[in-house]
Amino acid sequence: MKVLNTDIKRVDGPDKVTGRAVYTHDVRLPGMVYARLVLHHTPRALVESIDVSAANEVPGVVATGVLHSEGEVLAYLGDDSALAWVAAETPEAAIEGARAVRRTLTDLQPTLVTPKQSQLPGAPQVSSRGNTSGESDDGNREQVLAAIEGADHRLEAEYELPIQHHVCLETHGHVVDYDGERATIYASTQAVSSLAGEFTRLLDLPADRVRILTPVMGGGFGSKFGAGLEGAVVATIAKQLVRPVHLMLDRPQEFQMAGNRSGSKATARAGCNAEGRMVGLDLEVNRYGGMGAGSFPKPPYIYAPEQTSSVLRSVHTALDSNRAMRAPGHPQSSFVTESIVDELAAKAGVDSVAFRKLNLDDEVWHRHLDAVAEKIGWAQHPNRTGPGTPDADGLAEGIGFGLATWRASGRPGYSAEVRISPDGSVTSSTAVQDLGTGSRTYVAAIVAEELGLTVADVTPRVGDSDLPPSIGSGGSITTGSMAPVIQVAAFEARRALENRLSEQLGQEPDSFVFADGKVTAPGIELTFREACAMLGSQPVTGQGKFKADLLGGGGRLHGAQAARVRVDTLTGRVELLHMAAIQDQGIPLNRLALRSQINGGMIGALSYGMLEERVMDPDLGLLLTHSMDNYKVAGTMEMPRMDVILDDDDPRHGVVGMAEAPAIPGHAAISNAIFNACGARLRSVPFTPDRVLAALAEKV
Amino acid sequence: MNRFKIQKPRDLTEAVGLLPAELGRGRARILAGGQDLLTELKENLDEPESLVSLGDIQGLRAIEARADGSLILGALTTLDELANSEQLKGAFGVLSEAAASVASPQIRHVATLGGNLNQRPRCWYFRNENAPCLKKGGATCFAESGRNKYNAILGGGPSYIVHPSDMAPALVSLGAEAVLSGPEGERRMPLEDYYTLPKDGNLESETVRKANEVLTHVVVPAPPMGTRSTYLKFKERASYDFALSSVALVLTLDGDMVTGGRLVLGGVAPRPWRAKRAELELRNKPLAGIEIEKLGDLALQGAAPLAENGYKVPLTKGLITRAIRHLQA
Repeated sequence: MKVLNTDIKRVDGPDKVTGRAVYTHDVRLPGMVYARLVLHHTPRALVESIDVSAANEVPGVVATGVLHSEGEVLAYLGDDSALAWVAAETPEAAIEGARAVRRTLTDLQPTLVTPKQSQLPGAPQVSSRGNTSGESDDGNREQVLAAIEGADHRLEAEYELPIQHHVCLETHGHVVDYDGERATIYASTQAVSSLAGEFTRLLDLPADRVRILTPVMGGGFGSKFGAGLEGAVVATIAKQLVRPVHLMLDRPQEFQMAGNRSGSKATARAGCNAEGRMVGLDLEVNRYGGMGAGSFPKPPYIYAPEQTSSVLRSVHTALDSNRAMRAPGHPQSSFVTESIVDELAAKAGVDSVAFRKLNLDDEVWHRHLDAVAEKIGWAQHPNRTGPGTPDADGLAEGIGFGLATWRASGRPGYSAEVRISPDGSVTSSTAVQDLGTGSRTYVAAIVAEELGLTVADVTPRVGDSDLPPSIGSGGSITTGSMAPVIQVAAFEARRALENRLSEQLGQEPDSFVFADGKVTAPGIELTFREACAMLGSQPVTGQGKFKADLLGGGGRLHGAQAARVRVDTLTGRVELLHMAAIQDQGIPLNRLALRSQINGGMIGALSYGMLEERVMDPDLGLLLTHSMDNYKVAGTMEMPRMDVILDDDDPRHGVVGMAEAPAIPGHAAISNAIFNACGARLRSVPFTPDRVLAALAEKV
Repeated sequence: MNRFKIQKPRDLTEAVGLLPAELGRGRARILAGGQDLLTELKENLDEPESLVSLGDIQGLRAIEARADGSLILGALTTLDELANSEQLKGAFGVLSEAAASVASPQIRHVATLGGNLNQRPRCWYFRNENAPCLKKGGATCFAESGRNKYNAILGGGPSYIVHPSDMAPALVSLGAEAVLSGPEGERRMPLEDYYTLPKDGNLESETVRKANEVLTHVVVPAPPMGTRSTYLKFKERASYDFALSSVALVLTLDGDMVTGGRLVLGGVAPRPWRAKRAELELRNKPLAGIEIEKLGDLALQGAAPLAENGYKVPLTKGLITRAIRHLQA
């Protein structure tokens, strides 16, 4: 391959860094109004009145609407908190109008924003399901606990993870341009094709009159699939006003109603024999997904203890439902599982890499562990079988590990079109959205590879529901679903061109070679453009359909990460020095994009591990981390040296999506590195100085 | 954010005349770099009818070294200018280190010394419009029994805010003086006395500045020969954060002997917190022989942590240790 499996710079990079790229938030249309939701700020409230009359008097306000009526009870902090909307000629007037909406509500106690509150005997029910639901009970607990009881080394511990936000830099929202007969919707969405269907229903229009445009989007990590309440409201306003309407959430609203990663609490019991073989694992897990179910994969996760039992359940609170977020449940499970494994390894005094291998049945992880161990300098590290101690200055360095797993797959049912025009221009089209992951670039690059061209020779057209339908971007299956389709479309377009050349040049269609911008056959050498000129006036096209054999991959994804930290045991400061990651990915389409994706996974995990945490006041029911001032996300100074290893020994000869796997184990590796440095075991995420100092004090 | 007028007085007298006699929501406010004011307005903490911009007034943006070795810092000097000034190295190093620790490069290029010294607290209840807390005229300090990880461990009650300024502890550690202009002319006071505690009865501001006074300059006296200083700040997020705790340490040395010094804590109390007992402990000790643990205990004496901020005690002691060792090196 000449184009694919190299470092390809993203084709929309210059647009993004120069600000030319127009995001949904940036869309400005003639006659557009700016709409704004009005939210109540605490859960569980009885509506007495919502009065928009003062808002209607605010200069510039065009229309208002009320979303809850007197006597209704707001059940939770989230969508249900939306009381009204205001549409105005300017964003400022919309804000002023929203503040002028008068509401009288009676807040209900207890607020039920914490699991502790909702689990108290006699607590009001968060929903008709009750405050606990979805309990699963697997394995023979009695037998597992007996095995643990008889083990040489035993562990009993509790682990906790907070609710994390997606923090898409572009908040959720849409601009709906509706003229009474048709609509174009600019959407910050992870699913261009399916969103069209949703707006068809919301606007009551036939499918051929609804078009979704997402030329670029400012981040999507699982929360941007449906239109959401904000989409339903913007559609209502557009229908009422028959004017373009802009409705984007602001950051506090985003944090209140646009989803999150569920929190968890896990009570673990585990044991291993003297050599480090895990004889039993028992986990009891509460998933904290607010009104939602939360996520947590069933144990054992990755590792293979001799026996496992588990009880998993959802504990509900009056908070907005969790949504899918970067490998739902896996980062939670990774932290719990990798902590257990690491704690047992230390108890047994076994090298923590060797301990892992002893309990892993899949050889790929062995190879991956070895790769990151080498990169991080494990063999030269003094504390391989137990934690170190701080030096005379109170500083300690440690190394930790974590593993990932995800599924590698693609789905049939989507399509693409490649068009070769007589002037030599080539377009590659599919509705697929580019979340920033680089799909636009491979939509061109795959075609360039097939036609012997450069990426710049192919114009990618994406993010438009009028183009051939695409899968939504979730579960790391976009590339696995779309790459084979684009490849087939390019192949079919090339066949069509070959057939036309064959007619004119008298060569067998199979005899043409497309390479280096040329089309050659025995005795014939044409530039690609000269060859295309022989099409006369008609372009040729190729349609792509899914071919599973071109996927070639499937199965399980692996991945390992290692972290090196320095802990200041005097102050509790954890300095992340170095992270290393390896990821299997079949045939890389774009090595640069892969490395970026893996760097992004490590960054997401380190931010989760070191800083991010939703904080609620339990009495007031207020979200205290309602802005990016208090909800802290890692910045440039938090970035360690990061090394990415692409697993070129992955035998899969096909395209495998891997986007989510690198976001899974980084924080677990960091926690284990902190322990390895100084013996402070962080059983609660994030590893902020209050927790680090508490763990240090507990050690003593 | 409400609609407001911007007024641009040409001199201090005119500026003072445009300011209200009393503090209060909705009244005119002083605009310097706007970095704190703008967030207050966006969070609807205040809705001033007008902003009195100091930008056109001459002489407020300067770092002036006087012949006696003292410094005059104009209130409109930016934090970036303070962080990078050659005049603030050496004995004054605590000032440039404090300035460099603030926020982000973008903010430091705009934010001013005066704004930094007069910024409002960051307590997440105070900053949340929907929490009618004591500082906003309500009846309760929600932090006292609520989520108080970032709140005061020293000098708290009835409000438990911490003063967020980095420049304030650094300047107090050098014995700086605040210069204010008001209707009755100029008045001066040690910067230390500029700040108040909630228990002194002042809840709607954190300083003794009257609504119609402008902090115009800070005078930093010449440090004695042999002065060393440093500012250590613990940020939860290194890229951009307020202090969980900070230590401004100034030591005056005669050879190897510490003859005097100041130890001022930031991020742990409603005002810059002078650890006076610890300062006494430093005096007349050989630099190498300072009993650091004892010093830390003295500095944190009287600390009364709330449910979630007890970690600030060991953290601050750790920072004091690091600061002493830094000046010993």
